[in-house]
Amino acid sequence: MLTDHWNATLVLLVTALAAAPLTALAGFWRRTLATPVAIVTTAAAFAAALWGWAEGGPTLDAPWAPAWNLRLTFELDGLAALYSLLATGIGLAVVIYASRYIPLHLAHSERDQGDIVRFYGFLLLFMGAMVGLVMAQDLFLIFLFWDLTAISSYFLIGYDSEREDARASALMAFLITGISAVCFLIGALLLYSEYGTFALPDLMARTESSRLVTTAVALISAAALAKSAQAPLHFWLPRAMAAPTPVSAYLHSAAMVAAGVFLLGRVHPLLEKSDVVMNALVVIGFASMATGGCLALTRKVLKQLLAYSTISQYGYVVVMLGIGGADGAAAASFYVIAHALMKCALFLTAGAVTEATGQKALTGLGGLWRRMPLLAVGSGAAAAGLAALPLTAGFFKDELFFKAADHEGNPIRLLAVAGAALTFAYSWRFWGGIFAGPLQTEPKPLSIRLTAPVAVLGALVLLGGVWPHPFARLAEDAATVTAGTPVHIEVAYHLDSRVENVMAIAAIAVGLVLIFSRPLWQPALVAISTTTVRFGPERLYWAVLLGLNRLSDRMHRIEIHDLRGRVATILLPAGLLVGAGVAVTPGGGTFRIGSLSNGDLPEVLMLTVAALAAITAALARDHLSLALVLSGVGFSLAVVYALLGSPDVALVAVLIETIFALLFVGMLALLPREGDEAIAVITRDREQRLQADNRGRDAVLSAIAGGLAFIVAWGILSKPAPLESVITSHIRLAPVAHGKDIVTVILADFRGLDTMGEITVIGIAFLGIATYLRRWRTR
Amino acid sequence: MTIMSRHVARLLLAPTWMVALAVMIKGYADTGDGFSAGIIASLGVLLQYLVVGTRETTQLLPVRYAREAAQFGLLIALLVTFIPVLWGDPILTHYPRPGESVTHLGTLELLTAVLFDVGVFLLVLGVATGVIDLIARSRERRPT
Repeated sequence: MLTDHWNATLVLLVTALAAAPLTALAGFWRRTLATPVAIVTTAAAFAAALWGWAEGGPTLDAPWAPAWNLRLTFELDGLAALYSLLATGIGLAVVIYASRYIPLHLAHSERDQGDIVRFYGFLLLFMGAMVGLVMAQDLFLIFLFWDLTAISSYFLIGYDSEREDARASALMAFLITGISAVCFLIGALLLYSEYGTFALPDLMARTESSRLVTTAVALISAAALAKSAQAPLHFWLPRAMAAPTPVSAYLHSAAMVAAGVFLLGRVHPLLEKSDVVMNALVVIGFASMATGGCLALTRKVLKQLLAYSTISQYGYVVVMLGIGGADGAAAASFYVIAHALMKCALFLTAGAVTEATGQKALTGLGGLWRRMPLLAVGSGAAAAGLAALPLTAGFFKDELFFKAADHEGNPIRLLAVAGAALTFAYSWRFWGGIFAGPLQTEPKPLSIRLTAPVAVLGALVLLGGVWPHPFARLAEDAATVTAGTPVHIEVAYHLDSRVENVMAIAAIAVGLVLIFSRPLWQPALVAISTTTVRFGPERLYWAVLLGLNRLSDRMHRIEIHDLRGRVATILLPAGLLVGAGVAVTPGGGTFRIGSLSNGDLPEVLMLTVAALAAITAALARDHLSLALVLSGVGFSLAVVYALLGSPDVALVAVLIETIFALLFVGMLALLPREGDEAIAVITRDREQRLQADNRGRDAVLSAIAGGLAFIVAWGILSKPAPLESVITSHIRLAPVAHGKDIVTVILADFRGLDTMGEITVIGIAFLGIATYLRRWRTR
Repeated sequence: MTIMSRHVARLLLAPTWMVALAVMIKGYADTGDGFSAGIIASLGVLLQYLVVGTRETTQLLPVRYAREAAQFGLLIALLVTFIPVLWGDPILTHYPRPGESVTHLGTLELLTAVLFDVGVFLLVLGVATGVIDLIARSRERRPT
């Protein structure tokens, strides 16, 4: 029996987040276990989501890091139910499909079959992240899961990591969505700075229209739009087709891209406080509809066509969210459900067809409906749904869309019809291109696991056409959250001339015209699309990326070019800044020459030794004497510390000098010697350097830096010691912190965070040394 | 190296570590801390490398775990730093808090600050011996 603690919210969260680690562990133990465990855990998560939707999940609220005002707040509300059903349900279909597809994929590229564990691991991590994301009620928590989806998508898109295009595409998707996620964080922090909370319910209740809120929600929307691949940041999505097909199916229908519109739906009550943002959403949505729709009509590669279609489909959703209100929210929610089923089915079809025929583009395909009837019917239903034909769930998605657009005046109505007509045209282009016409390539027989998911999704699309009420209820619950007011969705067929029907008929008519007039506009559209792809935002992305790479290379080259130059770039600005500080400090009587007593003799002696050693260091001709003389400076100073009565500092100084001198000498033995290949390079370098003699420059730089450091040290030492300083309070507080040795207490307690940072740096430096010496050794 | 110096080097290892341990344990009450202790302990190891030679030292001492020691030390320090957040305290809060009584084992005080210092000790020891080992191995591989 489930107790109060085990409510639907917690059960769903735990099952979804546990799927990835369980599968990975099982897979590492026995490779053959990965597939059954993946299917069972995903099915369990789906069952939990269904139960949670029926039951309703209460709010789960636990302190996380109270000192930083962070809480773990989850709630399985209508919106979360919709998206978690999609993430787990579509996830189940994709996992079953992948259990056959990925082994074939790995065999084609001659990779180890054990790699499938990595696939399941990241796919299910993605699912867990999506479920966490949609239930989170706290902006910081949303950001966390948001980035988790970006990370898992990076590894999934780059799954074929031996291919360069896969790696570049993964990086592009990660950079676009990851950098925009920083915008989201800035937006969230802006709201936090004003209202002191990350909790969404509080923010919705307390925010009012202001410039700050507009800026914050604009930043949040920018992140959402980049994730949903909306223009002008749409270009990463077609590139992401480098991923294996099941990944594409999941990214497009239920995860990555859906996360963007989910976020818009989640923060919608905040968005409504800014008219600018709402209007921008409509404009960007239509721009994406046009870009995606037109480009989809020109693509020949199956997955590319579908990718551009996704851009356009989510453009619809963004338009509806921009229109807002009860109608807009209802239409957007219903649209997301219908689109997820259809787009997943179409992607899985593309993968199955490519697997059976080896063809990736429309040019080598046609007439397959006789050979693959089940696939043809399943994907036919999905394509018909996308085209919004009656008797499919897709009809209602456009019905609600038109209803929402109807209030907004003629331009919006016309654009809506045009978008729907484009969808109609490329849906036919996809399905007709594969299944209709004369047979082009004879297919191999396919496993039922590759066709059944498509058939089931197609059946759901048809079911939604004749019995839309479960879908409508799900959308209703989600829209209620998005709109912030109770929403009622009524979907039914009306055989009259209401405006939605007229718009639907117009869209189908224009779509048919587009299909039959294809030869007329095809060349022009291809030319336009080539131009936009070549001179579009993607070009800017590459230019920026290459530019940054070049800048980094150049900085690095300056840095490693020449040791003297590198030291000079540190010394000169440091010296000048210090000198400027001295120049502006009022220094009446600062520089005093004190008096010496007999008791000071030991210190003076040691300091003289240090000074002599320092001068000798400048004259040393070989490395060994340089190292020894330098440690001589250190040891003399250590003695001075001891004489001045600070044994802790002296101890540390002696130890440091000892190990430093020994390691320095050890490193000298690694320098290239006569006869080494490297020595020739060094000699050549030295000759070149001698030609451009820099000794004069070096002397001037050293004089400036050293002289100014001397003046500052003199100035500081001339000042009388202040009575109350930081160190006095440290001395006073050390016993309170249970310590007697002040240096240790400062290191471990008062300035513990500094120590933490420093030891981390030491650890990282160790990694660097190890990498460098190992590589050098294997050469 | 002579037989004499080999024996002396080996004999010195245990006292060196004893001193390191003492500096470590007494750290909160007297001069010394985890950092100094780590350096002293690694100086003892360095002496073995210089006198006894790389191969014998690696057989004698578990230097191959240097990296793990460094990681473990960093982990301890990180845990001491961030675990207080779970209780709602600021990061790097040490327990027992000021004013509360501390358990003593001789000069060793049972404090989380001392645990933090142990993390620093392990990290310094791991990094220093690791670097010594890397340099020694690189030298051995070189054609001379």
